[in-house]
Amino acid sequence: MAQRRALATVFALALTLSAACGTTSENSGQNPQPGAAGGDACAGPDGTYTIGMSQANVAEPYRERMDDDIRTAAAKVPQFTVEFADAQQDNAKQVADVENFLTKQIDLLIISPNEATPLTSVVAKAYNKGIPVIVLDRKVDGDAYTTWIGADNVEIGRTAGKYVAEQLLPNGGKVGELRGLAGSTPAKERGDGFREGIRGTNIDIVTSSDGDWLREKGQAQADAMFTANPDIEVVYAHNDPMAEGAYLAAKAAGKEKSLKFIGIDGLPIPSGGLKAVEQGRLSATLIYPTAGNEAVETAKQLLIDCEEVPREQTLTTELITIDNAATVYDEANS
Amino acid sequence: MTRTVPHRGSGGRVVAALFRFQSLFGLVAVFVVAVVFSPRHDGALLFLDGDNLFNVVRAVSEIGIMAVGMTFVILVGGIDLSVGAVLGLAAVGSAVLMVDSDFGVFAAVAVVLLIGLGFGFLQGLASAVFGIQAFIVTLAGMQIARGLARIWSGGQGVAIAYGDGPGEAPLAFSLLGERTFNGLVPIPALIFAVVAVVAIVFLRTSAFSRHMYAIGGNEQAARLSGVPVTRVKVAVFCICGFLAALAGIVHAGQLNQGSPNDGFGYELDAIAAVVIGGTSLMGGRGSVTGTVAGALLLGVLNNFLGLHGVDPNIQLLVKGLVIVVAAGLQRLRPAG
Repeated sequence: MAQRRALATVFALALTLSAACGTTSENSGQNPQPGAAGGDACAGPDGTYTIGMSQANVAEPYRERMDDDIRTAAAKVPQFTVEFADAQQDNAKQVADVENFLTKQIDLLIISPNEATPLTSVVAKAYNKGIPVIVLDRKVDGDAYTTWIGADNVEIGRTAGKYVAEQLLPNGGKVGELRGLAGSTPAKERGDGFREGIRGTNIDIVTSSDGDWLREKGQAQADAMFTANPDIEVVYAHNDPMAEGAYLAAKAAGKEKSLKFIGIDGLPIPSGGLKAVEQGRLSATLIYPTAGNEAVETAKQLLIDCEEVPREQTLTTELITIDNAATVYDEANS
Repeated sequence: MTRTVPHRGSGGRVVAALFRFQSLFGLVAVFVVAVVFSPRHDGALLFLDGDNLFNVVRAVSEIGIMAVGMTFVILVGGIDLSVGAVLGLAAVGSAVLMVDSDFGVFAAVAVVLLIGLGFGFLQGLASAVFGIQAFIVTLAGMQIARGLARIWSGGQGVAIAYGDGPGEAPLAFSLLGERTFNGLVPIPALIFAVVAVVAIVFLRTSAFSRHMYAIGGNEQAARLSGVPVTRVKVAVFCICGFLAALAGIVHAGQLNQGSPNDGFGYELDAIAAVVIGGTSLMGGRGSVTGTVAGALLLGVLNNFLGLHGVDPNIQLLVKGLVIVVAAGLQRLRPAG
């Protein structure tokens, strides 16, 4: 038995070493594409291209929609095949996902990073191999990527603030804020922008609590908020699910008619903010674009049209009220 | 280990051996499947691509290091649910100590390893001395480690930038993200290999390990025959905490960041590796060799499914089924 065990050990080590030995042949056998990093991938309309899409976490509706948008847009480009990977909110898994794409020798990488720093080096590795990299939503550190496409959360917060100041509370009033996950960049930016938007008015943010982007957490925090501050008139939530949670809390307290709720994201899905506005639960939401269509369009420019693309592409938001909710929903799903 | 194998024919022995090393055979099987069904590119098998195998062993290292410690705990009939959170705490600790507190590499690593050891020690005490079930103690420990990591990091990932200046980590730490022996072996895999070999030798040779198997087999009997049960159990939790912290240091080095959310759910992967490795969750039966094979099996499987672009939701199903099958095989295994 001792022998068998020893054998087992040897085998385990052999696997480690076999990985090691393979590496040399790989290094000598592979020549990275010549020319500028991320530059020479274009083979025009006659080529066929495999695109790798590395998603941080498909469990979030916003990111699921991003994948769906990419899938739909890419289906209209016959030269494109898109492969999807889901990191399930784990940085290490996302690094492995991108490495798998590199092994498969994809022609272009789209990545929506879970966090900036941990993904920076693997994104740079892809870029330095000559693969164009399109970064969506969250950025990576440094400049080893082709282009970034996303929205401006400060601008979105500012628009929300102005809407509250001009439409909901023109004579001033009290606002309760449900914030996104503490420490996350969008939570800070959406909060800061809102404060800019209401500057110089008689509107006060009387209470702020962390809803961690979650509907159930938003509901629980709103319960406490309404008890402690019965004179709140508007709830500003950093995303639609938390705004919906606050609506449920208000309904339980019999206050849903006297309060106004606004959220952010405006996803064109049945459970999303557009429907919530259309059905009258939320007064307004602000579109946070998924950038999925734009990513495929950019991929087309890079691979098929051989065009230069801008380093940063900031997408604009749109204020959604009962007036345009249904139209925008239909357009997004046509 | 000290138990005598019941008398049976050589056929029975072969069967017993098959079951004992089920994870190795499983690993070989999955490996062969991965090779045969590997996606190809210009005729070359992508799975056997050097960089790919390199990625497999590197990706498996952190879980593997934790799983070795988990094997020890499970062998004495315990469980440690806190390892993922301790990994996060250790990753945050490494980053904060080097970046914010200007610790050198060795000082930071030593402090973080001691934290892991101490955390395991406290859990071991609570479990062995006060008789609280390991499941409950380490469930609480998981929350506490996660909370400590959040407080220590200020709730955000702490980026590790390298250099000599203040606010920068010593360049030596970046070795954890690199290769050694002329770029042949990823350093995390090397650390995993060393941990595994030391653990295997330790389990085969030390009196301590006989005590572990005895406690796991029958704690009451072990106590009556003079095994220092409490001491052994506390020590085992110390080892597990220590290795979880080591995995956390590797994690921080790999990702250039310590984030309080790191290692979320990793305890389940570690337990899965142990179970696939054939170690009984009842304690008293199992081996580190099996665990190493179990961890590699999961790694190869992950990579194989990833290379094929299998739907992530289906991947979860496949991995769940593999665990169930492995556990089911254990039920069929003859005693001894």
